[in-house]
Amino acid sequence: MIMRFDSFNNGQRPLLFAITSAVLFIAQIAPAEEELGAMWGTAEAEYSYYQLVDIPIPPEVPMRPGSFEILPDGRLAVGTRRGDVYFISGAFETPPTPEYHLFASGQDEIFGLAWKDGSLTITQFGEVTKLTDTDGDGAADRFDTLTNNWGYAEGHEFAFGSKHDPDGNIWVALGLSGSYESHNLFRGWAVKVTPDGRMIPVCSGLRSPAGVAANAEGAMFCIESQGPWNGSCSLKHLKPGGFLGHPASYNWYPFVDGLEAPALEPNSNSRLQVEKKRVKELVPPAVLFPYIKMGRSISGFRLNQTEGKFGPFDDQFFFGDYTLSLIMRATTEQINGVWQGACYPFREGLATGIMNVEFTPKGQLIAGGFTTNRQWPVRGESPFAIQRLDWTGKTPFELQEINIRPDGFLLTFTLPVDPVVAANPETYALTTYTHVFSAGYGSPEVDHTNPTVTRAEVSDDGISVRLTVNGIQESHIHDFDLTKMQSRTHLPLLHTKAYYTVNEIPSAAVGK
Amino acid sequence: MQFLAFDSIPALRLLHHLHFVIAAGFTCSTVSAEFILPGIAKSELAPELQGRVLVEELNCAACHDAMSISDSSRKAPRLAAVGARVNPEYLRAFIAAPHEVKPGTLMPDVLGDRSEAEKQEVAETITHFLVSLNKGEQFEQQVPDAVAAERGEKLFHAVGCVACHSPRDPAGVELLTDASVALGALEEKYSHRSLREFLQRPHAVRPSGRMPDLRLPGNQLDDIAHYLLRNTRVPGHLAFTQWGGKVWEGLLGDVEKERAGQVDDFNLEKLGNVHHHSAIRYDGFLRINTGGNYTFHMTLNGGSLRMNGQTVVDLAPSDHRGTRTLTAEAQLNAGWNAIELTYFHTGREAELQFEMEGPGFPRQAIPADILATSDQPIPMQRPLQSDPVLAAKGKLHFASLGCAQCHDDISSPRKDYAPMAGLDPAKGCLGEASESPRFGLSADQKQLIALALPQIDADHFTDEQRVNKTLAALNCIACHDRDGLGGISPERNAYFTGTAEALGDQGRLPPPLTHVGAKLTQSWLKEILLRGGRQREYLNTRMPQFGEAQVGHLVELFGKVDSLETVTFPEIANIRESKDAGYEMMGATGLSCIACHDFNGQKSGGAGALELVHVTERLQKNWFHLYMRQPSRFHPTVIMPSYWPGGQSIRKEVLGGNTDQQIEALWNYLSDGTRAKNPKGLSRQSLELRVADETVMCRGRGTASYRGIGVGYPERISLAFDSEEMAVRQLWKGEFANVDHGSFRPRGTDRITFANGVPFHRLTSMDDPWPYKGKTNYLFPQDHGYQYRGYFLNKEKRPTFLYRYGEIAVEDFFEDLLDAEGRAFFRRTMTFSAPTAQETFYFRAATGKAIAPEANGIAWKIDQLNLRILGELPAQIRNGEVNELLVPLTLPEGETVLQLEYHW
Repeated sequence: MIMRFDSFNNGQRPLLFAITSAVLFIAQIAPAEEELGAMWGTAEAEYSYYQLVDIPIPPEVPMRPGSFEILPDGRLAVGTRRGDVYFISGAFETPPTPEYHLFASGQDEIFGLAWKDGSLTITQFGEVTKLTDTDGDGAADRFDTLTNNWGYAEGHEFAFGSKHDPDGNIWVALGLSGSYESHNLFRGWAVKVTPDGRMIPVCSGLRSPAGVAANAEGAMFCIESQGPWNGSCSLKHLKPGGFLGHPASYNWYPFVDGLEAPALEPNSNSRLQVEKKRVKELVPPAVLFPYIKMGRSISGFRLNQTEGKFGPFDDQFFFGDYTLSLIMRATTEQINGVWQGACYPFREGLATGIMNVEFTPKGQLIAGGFTTNRQWPVRGESPFAIQRLDWTGKTPFELQEINIRPDGFLLTFTLPVDPVVAANPETYALTTYTHVFSAGYGSPEVDHTNPTVTRAEVSDDGISVRLTVNGIQESHIHDFDLTKMQSRTHLPLLHTKAYYTVNEIPSAAVGK
Repeated sequence: MQFLAFDSIPALRLLHHLHFVIAAGFTCSTVSAEFILPGIAKSELAPELQGRVLVEELNCAACHDAMSISDSSRKAPRLAAVGARVNPEYLRAFIAAPHEVKPGTLMPDVLGDRSEAEKQEVAETITHFLVSLNKGEQFEQQVPDAVAAERGEKLFHAVGCVACHSPRDPAGVELLTDASVALGALEEKYSHRSLREFLQRPHAVRPSGRMPDLRLPGNQLDDIAHYLLRNTRVPGHLAFTQWGGKVWEGLLGDVEKERAGQVDDFNLEKLGNVHHHSAIRYDGFLRINTGGNYTFHMTLNGGSLRMNGQTVVDLAPSDHRGTRTLTAEAQLNAGWNAIELTYFHTGREAELQFEMEGPGFPRQAIPADILATSDQPIPMQRPLQSDPVLAAKGKLHFASLGCAQCHDDISSPRKDYAPMAGLDPAKGCLGEASESPRFGLSADQKQLIALALPQIDADHFTDEQRVNKTLAALNCIACHDRDGLGGISPERNAYFTGTAEALGDQGRLPPPLTHVGAKLTQSWLKEILLRGGRQREYLNTRMPQFGEAQVGHLVELFGKVDSLETVTFPEIANIRESKDAGYEMMGATGLSCIACHDFNGQKSGGAGALELVHVTERLQKNWFHLYMRQPSRFHPTVIMPSYWPGGQSIRKEVLGGNTDQQIEALWNYLSDGTRAKNPKGLSRQSLELRVADETVMCRGRGTASYRGIGVGYPERISLAFDSEEMAVRQLWKGEFANVDHGSFRPRGTDRITFANGVPFHRLTSMDDPWPYKGKTNYLFPQDHGYQYRGYFLNKEKRPTFLYRYGEIAVEDFFEDLLDAEGRAFFRRTMTFSAPTAQETFYFRAATGKAIAPEANGIAWKIDQLNLRILGELPAQIRNGEVNELLVPLTLPEGETVLQLEYHW
């Protein structure tokens, strides 16, 4: 529990590093493994599939990116902590030839950008605002506030916004007034802001959420940070009427029409699988990210809808991590009405603390962020950066997706597997664990079990393997180690680990 | 019956569970819960060492000689002044049946073989004997202060009491009795005075320091004692609660309870300190001889009177006027009638006159003798007068029962028992014979003692074992982990809190003691253990004092037991150069240590981490070198990064990039202590926002609440607009602002500040308070019809703010202009669009200390500000907590424009 997302801004907001001092840091420093957790060690291998490209930032631009958007004219929009919005042309060229244009300034920290119908809607700490350039001079002149009706009276109270949903709503995740308490209206809730400026509370129980985005099926999710009632970071489904785990925000139910406060509060020092049965509104996290193994302060994320331009991972989520400066991906599926899924390593070695990501029309992944005044450990050395991940066109041998089945899992790979290795149950090392569900801060991994893979059936095309598993554990992370796996051409997996969170086990009738 | 205690012996756990289940099936009247030493239960001490701790805690050596443990054994409470300290009623009951009155007590039952009548007789006489020894004040209960008790409840659960004692739910039910040191029913035992005194100097009564001294300030001791004794019942006339704050808005808003207690009658003077802007609620019962119609005569600013639950008077307070006089009638019954009077001490010439008249009761203030806090009699505690005959008998019992073996501050004959070596663990106190003292030991406690007895005189413990034994016996490990010995249990974890949340767990959990002897200097260890030294001010939990006899030996033993590899310190060729390098690294352009750490009393930019100038007094230099290379080695949850990852410096330009030299340089710089030169960037850095020929805006918390908008205009005047309340908060001249991420602060001079509150309101009476966003009116100002809608910019980038008040749309535009003498001023143009004609409401144009009209009739002088309301609209001054200039507005359908000018 060393770093969490909200750490860079607790109560008092630390100053960011001046650019001049930043250049004094020597590049190529051995990462502080003992501080931040071991790296995956895959950066070199990743390079031949996904290359990192720096998008230069001119020295006169104070750029601490917090959110991105692609404009209809093909430019990249960037919202910053300082409260500026820049439009950048040329960012997707190879090599990049960026030109920065200041579209708006004077806003509060911007952690949400969404373009629709000629306006840019931003989510800042105090409100959701629609920015429009009505006179066509290239700078916003109307700043129409859609809502500022949530409570904001403490320094830690972050707000993160989504893109527009199909109805044109912006979903905003509102952090607590610190780790433990909710002092102001709807802190710890997600709310929905309609195009006509109504604010509709959606669900309670958040602690310190970060990015908000929808999956391919249109279900809205946000990232939650490790801390009280959160053993690790996770991806949480913003289920309408749901309670997402941290009871500090129960106090706002009386302010919501048509929603009753849950009859029970969760017990501390318990387990999710126990409490979700007691507190029927409790929505378990869809994907848990084991701490340090899979990030330490996950931030913004986006759905890959590039139709293959970014490689074999369409309709999957891609996440940035602030502390560890890396990119991860996740898949989701709905079982018995509950969302769950798996997370997978993707790319490490980015230059700074990643705050947000965005896919470009060319199918590249933009990632950017900043570090603070060396106040919080961040693996990336740059005080701020915008980078781009370009797919080289070469398909890595990766575990593309894990899906659950009534008696096991279906593993799908990006390339055909070696039929002999893949058919051997010993190729699959599987352990499970969960966290203490507790009002204390974070949790170790507990209740370890070792399910056995009794059968591994390889599909005819060699792309998928159907595992029969004895001992699937509800509400546990299923930690897959596939170090022994080989492709048909005897390549090892680029990343050998994956983590599936089992909230529900499908009944036989549902699975195939 | 037995309850769970010793989880460290796995084989016995199942047995415990069985017992527990059985116990639950019986009535609990005969339960004699064994005493619980949480420190042992959770320690990883070897069983014979646990047994030895038990022998010491039970003070077996008081009867059975054992040289090796006579000094380390726990001494019983001192009894010389027990008559002043403990309720004699409690003493009597406790002596007769200690385990029933206080389950978990260490006091043995020495009357196990006596009949009930004999028990009572012995207990009675010993109580008289003990009370006769008291030379001080007599025991007397005090009225609990329910408001102090609320504060005390928070303190009890924050400062460390619940590390050993059980935390309690809001109803006072103990939550972790199985793993806590028992307290028993304290309100039956102590008075507020005696409990407070005990908490302040616990070692004077319990010399062995098991109850440590938390060194809390007196007011906190008061509060905790009120909390623990909040169920004390003392007869009285009227209960009262006092509030402070903005009481003129009633008791639901921004007010705070200050105190509670009992008072004789409604005469304010009896309450002592009643300051302006306070509210009092009196609660009690009124005894009437003749039922009938009674009249109440009242003079007051505001308040309410309820008789038998029915509201008789309800007068809203206001800070804008003086008192009112009124009469009201109520039908009262003969006998007791519930009376509740709430009184607001606010407004001009605040006073309370409250009189009653009725059948056979001429008009007068209600006298104390017909008032009572309860309609049921509460028995008056009468101090026990010690009877010399009974006391003399008690003295004999005290001696014959062996009480003086343990309570050896009382001069009384002592008895001889067999020495401890050679005792048979199946007999005597450990056996089943009822004539021996009964300690209520569980089977496994007895088993542990049996393991320890054969080796009791052999003092063959290693230093490490000695350390561990002390840490377990004193339950240091309730708060501190030491290499796996103890540590905070999950059930208690959430009670450890702190004020530096940014530090994560380090900001709330006491530090681990692993390697502590290789970390801290001996002098600092002494300071902490023996003199109350404290560095981590951000921890709410206090490091308590156990006394030199208990922990003095740890200072040396920690040093002997703990060791780490030895660093070879680098040679320093030039001490000046080394200190200068340390100074450079410490500052904002170096490693920026001060971004997180406080320095020489100055707060850091963010996290509030440990003060640095005392580092070299506290830490061993060897440890400092090891820690700086890899902080996470010593604190698994540390948020401090390594600046020498893998031993490599990230600052190659300092001292040739030599890691050892750099760490040594920081040490050398810090060794100047409070005389060290302040590092660069110690004051908060700022980023100035300048205005040239275009208007500049910034946003965030600061001058105008959290949703502030700063606007700097080209004529070098600026304003701060609060987009939460849609009101101008501040005007100033000169430089614009310093911005930081998410905040801004005005620079410049000549600041004009306006009070919090919305711009428009329909006052129903001139007594109404002006609405503003308080801490708890969560829906404000939307619940007053307001909605902020943003702004648009004109060509020169000057904003026009947009907001709604009910169905009125407002456009609010400020322009910076120059007057005839070339001085800048604001002209404000407010354009109202109303779909229908609007009922009159007030626009609060300004607030200030002094408001007066100017001679010309259209301008107003508000402190330093000259405000002109164009169009000769009338305005009026309303005096109150702040003085206000109110402009009544009656809008027709369509557009209306109001213009004002701000000159200053």
